[in-house]
Amino acid sequence: MIEIKGLGKQFQNETEIIYNDMIFQQGKSYMLLGASGCGKSTLLNMIAGVLSPTNGKIIIDGINMAQATQKQKDKFRIEKIGYIFQDFKLINEMSVADNISILRLEGVDVSKMDETLKALGIYEKKNAKIKHLSGGQKQRVAIARALVKKPDIILADEPTGNLNFAIGEQVIKALTEISKGKTLIAVTHDERLAKYFDYVINMDEMTSGISDIVSPKEVE
Amino acid sequence: MLKFALKNMAIKKVQIILVVISIVISAGIAVLAFNVSNQVSQGLTDNTPKYSLIIGSRGSKTQLAMNTLFFVDEPLDSIPYTLVNEIKTIPGANIEEVIPFAMADSYAGYKVVGTTDGYFGGYTLKEGKLFGDDTHTAVVGYNVAKAQGLEIGKVIYTSHGANGHKHDGENQGITVVGILDRTHSAFDNTVFTNIETLWALHGIGEHDEEHKEEHVAQTKSAISLLTATNEPTHGEPSNGGDHDTEGDTGKDESSGENEHEEHGKTVSAILVKTDGLASNGIITEIYKDAVNIEGKSYFLQAINPDETIRTVKEDTDNTKAIVYVLCGVILLMNVMVITIITILNMYHSTKEIALMRLIGISAGKINLLYVIENAIIGFISVILAFGVSRFCLLFMNEFVASWGIVINMSRVSLVEILILLGVFIISVLPTAICTVIMSKRDSIGG
Repeated sequence: MIEIKGLGKQFQNETEIIYNDMIFQQGKSYMLLGASGCGKSTLLNMIAGVLSPTNGKIIIDGINMAQATQKQKDKFRIEKIGYIFQDFKLINEMSVADNISILRLEGVDVSKMDETLKALGIYEKKNAKIKHLSGGQKQRVAIARALVKKPDIILADEPTGNLNFAIGEQVIKALTEISKGKTLIAVTHDERLAKYFDYVINMDEMTSGISDIVSPKEVE
Repeated sequence: MLKFALKNMAIKKVQIILVVISIVISAGIAVLAFNVSNQVSQGLTDNTPKYSLIIGSRGSKTQLAMNTLFFVDEPLDSIPYTLVNEIKTIPGANIEEVIPFAMADSYAGYKVVGTTDGYFGGYTLKEGKLFGDDTHTAVVGYNVAKAQGLEIGKVIYTSHGANGHKHDGENQGITVVGILDRTHSAFDNTVFTNIETLWALHGIGEHDEEHKEEHVAQTKSAISLLTATNEPTHGEPSNGGDHDTEGDTGKDESSGENEHEEHGKTVSAILVKTDGLASNGIITEIYKDAVNIEGKSYFLQAINPDETIRTVKEDTDNTKAIVYVLCGVILLMNVMVITIITILNMYHSTKEIALMRLIGISAGKINLLYVIENAIIGFISVILAFGVSRFCLLFMNEFVASWGIVINMSRVSLVEILILLGVFIISVLPTAICTVIMSKRDSIGG
């Protein structure tokens, strides 16, 4: 369970985002909708420990990530979180297998790599270099890398942003399917994909499928 | 980690090859320059046989010492062999050993020296024996035997003239009776014979006058040391000139005497071991003025080889200092080149580092990864630099051989190791600093 309390983030350009309190339940999938700049990616980055909040708490399994050291955040990210990026964050000159095996640097067990690649339908591209893959294939590799370590939490920042709807839908379908039983929080602009998630949170209009989640208020 | 580092390096192979080339060239030159200058300097002292004095015709001290000890350059004018016995009986001087030295012929480009067994004091034989009193026998240096495939019992034929320019097809054969151990000195590149052998090769001391005259005529112009020419040497008055107080007995005095002289036994220098400075002083004093030998006046000199070599070494050491400065400049440039290339590489790796940070790879692991990569690059470069320096030493060996120095290919000095170690550290340090700075930046926006 991820609990957010009094969370706020102020950037150097003095833009401040204030988040209402929210709870993300274990084993549920959440879709975050909202215009650019409303703080969706910032929220994911704070949950992942990549960014530190200015105020408030992010409590994950009883640990307040807002107060954790960078080392603790790194450890948490590698052990508990699978992060999927819009621009894939893959090393183009390396193969699919190498991009996933990179996790071994932190001692992550990647023995389920083949199984994960098969589940995502790209096992045959295992030894292909990333630069030779299509956008959809790259995103599947990014998902495989996020999931191979069997994380408790999966964060997906615009995973379909670079894909057309048909391929994006395939990716989301595969992602939600393989993420069953884990907490999935995905940021997307496309409302047509909402049917694949348990909850949809519109961070602009403060509409959500769950009563205790409200959208953040942006203060200039 | 190592496997991933190698894969990551494969992506950047062009940059890595450039870095390796840069390091290999600079480190290789630095190590080579140091090694050569050091070995030349050490070769002048370490491999110098210890003699109290060298007595030879008056002229350049350096030429006399370098020719006698390192077989470099042409010998000075020859002096009568009878002087060897006269030196032994100089009143007041305690003479321990007197060794004649003559250089004349060559064999396959290697100089042939006529001397006695005493000249090999301190040197050991790889196989065979010294020539002793046996004429037409030779002891050859290690490199000569190796290069020419010489074995004990093999007969070699020399050419007249120390540079081997004049070939005598009718030359008499010399049997190899000994091969010296490797000395890493000029001895390795020299053929030694009994001094009588050298005279015999030139028909001196034989009974057949007709044959002797023919032989002398053949070699007269080529080997001045074997013919007492009495000509001025390096600005000195000619033998038998105005300085001769005993009478004008120079070369021009009597053609009959000259002929006798030319047919006589001569050497190019005499090496003397005494019991100390007092004896050295007595001998040196004697040869300050012209001396009369067999009714003829000679201008000789007795030099202290250590002093003369020290002067040469001082000149070499001055050159060595310049070499060290150049090495320092090269290494400094190396530091700059490596640092610039590393910073550029790291700049291009910013995305890669940010990516690894985002997926949870710790800053420490990223640092370690790049340090390992550069350690591999540094290690390979240093090994190649060492290999290149050794390969170049092969060519340098031929070059410095003309100075009478033989480079020991296997000699590795502490400074060389320190240079290579320094280069290795230089190749790793900028990366370590860069990665520490860059990996701390979490480049993700919100």
